[in-house]
Amino acid sequence: MRNISALYYDGQSARQEAVTLSIHNGKILLQGDQLEREFDLDKITISAKLGSTPRLIHLLDGGHCEVDDHLGFDAMLDESGVSPPTLISRLENSWHYALAATLLTISFVLAMFYWGLPYIANMAAERVPDTLSLTIDEQVLDTLDDGLAEETQLSAKRQAGLSARFERLRKKNERPLAHLEFRDSDEIGANAFALPGGTIIITDQLVELAHNDEEILAVLAHELGHVKERHPLRQLLQSSVIGLSMTWYFGDISSLLAIAPTVMLETSYSRNFERRADLYAVTLLRRNGIKPGRLADILERLENDHTGHQSKHEAYSPIFDLFSTHPNTDERIRILRHANTTK
Amino acid sequence: MSEQEQRFSFIGNSSDYFVIWIVNLILTILTLGIYSAWAKVRRLQYLYRNTRLAGSSFDYHGTPIAILKGRLIAIVLFASYSIFLQLMPALGLAIGLIIALIMPYFFVTSLRFRLYNSSYRGLRFGFSGSVKSAYINFLLLPIASALTLFILAPYTHHRSKAYQHNNSHFGQSNFSFDATIASFYKIYFFVFLQIVTVVGLFALGIYLMFQGSWSNLPKMAIFAIVAGVYLLLIFTSLLVIPYFIARIQNLIWNHTALGEHRFICNMGARGLTWIILSNFFLIAMTMGIFKPFADIRLLRYKLEHLALLPSDSLDNFIASEKQHVSATGTESAEIFDVDISL
Repeated sequence: MRNISALYYDGQSARQEAVTLSIHNGKILLQGDQLEREFDLDKITISAKLGSTPRLIHLLDGGHCEVDDHLGFDAMLDESGVSPPTLISRLENSWHYALAATLLTISFVLAMFYWGLPYIANMAAERVPDTLSLTIDEQVLDTLDDGLAEETQLSAKRQAGLSARFERLRKKNERPLAHLEFRDSDEIGANAFALPGGTIIITDQLVELAHNDEEILAVLAHELGHVKERHPLRQLLQSSVIGLSMTWYFGDISSLLAIAPTVMLETSYSRNFERRADLYAVTLLRRNGIKPGRLADILERLENDHTGHQSKHEAYSPIFDLFSTHPNTDERIRILRHANTTK
Repeated sequence: MSEQEQRFSFIGNSSDYFVIWIVNLILTILTLGIYSAWAKVRRLQYLYRNTRLAGSSFDYHGTPIAILKGRLIAIVLFASYSIFLQLMPALGLAIGLIIALIMPYFFVTSLRFRLYNSSYRGLRFGFSGSVKSAYINFLLLPIASALTLFILAPYTHHRSKAYQHNNSHFGQSNFSFDATIASFYKIYFFVFLQIVTVVGLFALGIYLMFQGSWSNLPKMAIFAIVAGVYLLLIFTSLLVIPYFIARIQNLIWNHTALGEHRFICNMGARGLTWIILSNFFLIAMTMGIFKPFADIRLLRYKLEHLALLPSDSLDNFIASEKQHVSATGTESAEIFDVDISL
């Protein structure tokens, strides 16, 4: 007959009492200096193994025992043939499973990042109704007009001319539906960007920077690529998920640590979107008899404009550019030039 | 007659905890998050049961289903908030406002749930703070504190701690809190001085380095400044936050009593800084894998610097009438790990 020592608490007071436990005839026996009690084995609950945590035996009367002697307790249970370890506690008590779980978790996180999240965001973005995305566009425009941007200085004729050429880029009624908005903004500088509902904003500064209209059309074709593949909405959804997961995982103090990787991960998504939009632009430009190299030309000038010392909005735009969504411009220019020379 | 000082200790180890943590994580992923409620119970049971005081362990009794319900409510609330904030800001803000209005209520239910489901030597803890006081302490005072440029922040902190500790019980014995408001102001003042010094020195450095060349800074210089500000933010918080936590936790626990028994908390600002600083770098270098090990290191340090000074035998505590609480509160407070233990 095996005996192991334990501590007993009656659940009524915090009194601690040393007892010895033994099992026989389907009953567990507690023996202490001033107490002797017996319980049916099928009426008590024994806590599952959890690392080297003390095992707890919850008794029917609200009392419980704490056992530190793991080996002795396991052997005692074994001998009397009770409570095989549960599946979960078997998983939690093995380093093999832990290693497997680690590898599985890492693969899952990577797969989620590279395929899962983009796929889900894409599906979700396709299901956002046009009216809703147009509402977002209106809100962004309102915010812009609240101080960041002024009314365009371009003549009505120039605007109409550019809009008409923009319309002719695509066949009639070809998706995506999109329209142009002109704005003047020293703060934003030479730039064009697409909004979720298909609004493409182009600044006077960009029109000024372009050497010819084909360059402007090249930029617009690139933005159309964003609209076509719903990049703005997808970026929005993906960033939210990344941000939430980071906050959840790191919690309290280390959430500061999470800022850098969050920015890096989001940038990696947007870099991919830029490449996709470039691809779309190349096809669209070729169809219209415009050399894809035009996009490279203006990209190069944009890059110099944002980096350069001579620009009049230099104090602001470099910071924009720092976390900008257009990194690796050199590589993009190289690819576009290559597309220019091949057919 | 006074009894001997009883130190808290942690008898678990981080490799056991890591195994439990990673298995729970993968099960949570495979069940699309549903298992997370069970994972939380197992994780807390591991932490509680391995926390020792005077030869006995603590225990956690939360039920996974109750936690799951709370998690669902929290996720629905925060997801609708963050989605609508981007799609329809007006509606998003309205939801945010509703969340802010429910938050104090969730704090109370969360405290009730956590304390009721914690036990030591078979006796449950409990919380009996009123919802009304929670709205004063967790909604009105923080707003007042923000409106006064945080001059009221130490007072607010003091009130919320007094509310939490004065309304907590163990069995039939009550916790009590007797720190002064002035002592909170003193700690906040020193922290404020530290921040001003570090940030001031940094700003002066930047000013001297780029004096006279503001109008045409090259891109790299601006990049360096932004990166510098980020590093400064990290270092300031890594140095100031541990100091703050150590000082404030010492103050709070040294002025907390359970019946006639007192607590002693003697965390060192330097020791805690070392733990938090090294944890930070190890987490960064292992791309997050070190997180569970870091959690145990920090917990162990905190526990080992806390002790109970009994006025008589610990055997004399008596159980109270048990009560039931819903789990909703605890989860809403936790989805962003709002640390209410500070």
